[in-house]
Amino acid sequence: MKLNTQWRPLAVLALVMGSLAMSSCGDDDDDDGGSGSGGGDQAAEVKQYPANSTLGKIQDAGEITIGVKYDVPPFGFENPQSGEIEGFDVDMGRYIAEELGVEPKFVEAISDNRIPFLERGTVDLILSTMTINQERDMEIDFSEPYYVAEGRILVPKGSDIKGVDDLAGKRVCTALGSTYEETIREEAPDADLKLVDTYSECLELLQNKAIDAISTDDVILTGMIIQDDTLEMVGDKLTTEPYGVGIKDGDKQMKTFVDGVLASVEEDGRWEDTYQEWVGQYLNKEQAPPEMDLQQALALG
Amino acid sequence: MTELWNVLADHFSEFSTGFWVTVRIVVISFVIAMVVGTLVATMRIAPVKLLNWVGGVFVEVFRNTPLLVLLFISYAGLRRAGLPISAWVAGVGSLGLYTSAYVAEALRSGVFAVGKGQIDASLSLGLDYPRTLRYVILPQAVRTVIPHLGSLTIAMIKNSAIIGVSLLALEDLLHQARLVNSRTFQTDEVFFWAAVGYLILTLLTTLAVRRLEVRYAIHR
Repeated sequence: MKLNTQWRPLAVLALVMGSLAMSSCGDDDDDDGGSGSGGGDQAAEVKQYPANSTLGKIQDAGEITIGVKYDVPPFGFENPQSGEIEGFDVDMGRYIAEELGVEPKFVEAISDNRIPFLERGTVDLILSTMTINQERDMEIDFSEPYYVAEGRILVPKGSDIKGVDDLAGKRVCTALGSTYEETIREEAPDADLKLVDTYSECLELLQNKAIDAISTDDVILTGMIIQDDTLEMVGDKLTTEPYGVGIKDGDKQMKTFVDGVLASVEEDGRWEDTYQEWVGQYLNKEQAPPEMDLQQALALG
Repeated sequence: MTELWNVLADHFSEFSTGFWVTVRIVVISFVIAMVVGTLVATMRIAPVKLLNWVGGVFVEVFRNTPLLVLLFISYAGLRRAGLPISAWVAGVGSLGLYTSAYVAEALRSGVFAVGKGQIDASLSLGLDYPRTLRYVILPQAVRTVIPHLGSLTIAMIKNSAIIGVSLLALEDLLHQARLVNSRTFQTDEVFFWAAVGYLILTLLTTLAVRRLEVRYAIHR
């Protein structure tokens, strides 16, 4: 994990160069752009939407801008070797772009700015480990849940924190604007909350002992354990966190389309493959696509 | 318009916490900046080469490092090195020392404005160097640079906002504003009130500086 931090500046450089390269030669996992008319059935299946609709405009532009996390392995992060943005959310974004026959363009969206990004049109979609809740549902629309995470607590191995009840008087870090801010205030009112912009800052603080614990989704915490194996998750699940794709408020066409793509990804086995690649192999478990629907997700809070 | 007042009324406790944390940060940093700034300025004009050099290095290090980098080094860096510095100490220490480098330079320029003849006169009257500094040079230097120190203080108040959004995450005005924003998504209203909070502090500073100027400033 030390290496990872040290190589970060290089990774940023590599990312810039990588994205330059990507924009000129397209992506490697779908070849419908490169091979032109011989591109096969993928390209033929792409449905053209009316030019004045949201989807039509995206097809005209030839790319869809998707806000993802850059620092949350294994959902959205910069690969320190290639500098490219990878992860579960990123793959979901690719499936959506593929279905539209356009290139995905990934931009960084942190917890605090992603909703304004969507409202301002800086991004077309948000796929950034975003929990569906009623508060956010007032500002934007959500797709059906595409992943259900659980809230947990991460501490250094050997910590005397064994669960949420031990957090009183302890310094707990989570991202400003995330759902855990409220969760911790309710579950551990005596905890001293540290609210920062990104989970990588939380990790930095935990590693230099400025805080005692991090609380957020298990998948994000798994990513931290992959980077630093002196850390471990403790306690029972605090919350159930259904992730949804963020869609501009009122854009029914986009919502129907995204829900359709997600349903087919969940049906044809791509969901399980993606899960295994990014999450399953680290947690040693297999998982089926979420059965929860949007109404149930919203009913959670 | 009612939205604007509702945001303030509904989240007054968050805004007020943030305002007072910012006030505390600013007051402590101001004291550090003035005390250290004066010491460093003294070192830079002292008739001792080594002190000149140390003062010069201090000014260049703190003036040439972005505040955000200073905050990161003083907090994450020192903690990684095994020094368990608190976010408060790192925050006011960084802001105070950063500003002190500018204060030192302002004071030094003020000292140059004091005629060399006065220093010679003072020394020849039998005052030693520290006393010449204390009773002859610095009082005049400070008066000359009051407007400049006022600008530096206002800049410091605005710079303090970086502390709350850095990984130190002190709950200052901007940090609290972002907190309220993340709950309400009423960006315009929330940041309007944050701006008002900073404006109160900077305008009060402007007023105070103006009064000091009228009372003490030397017009040549």
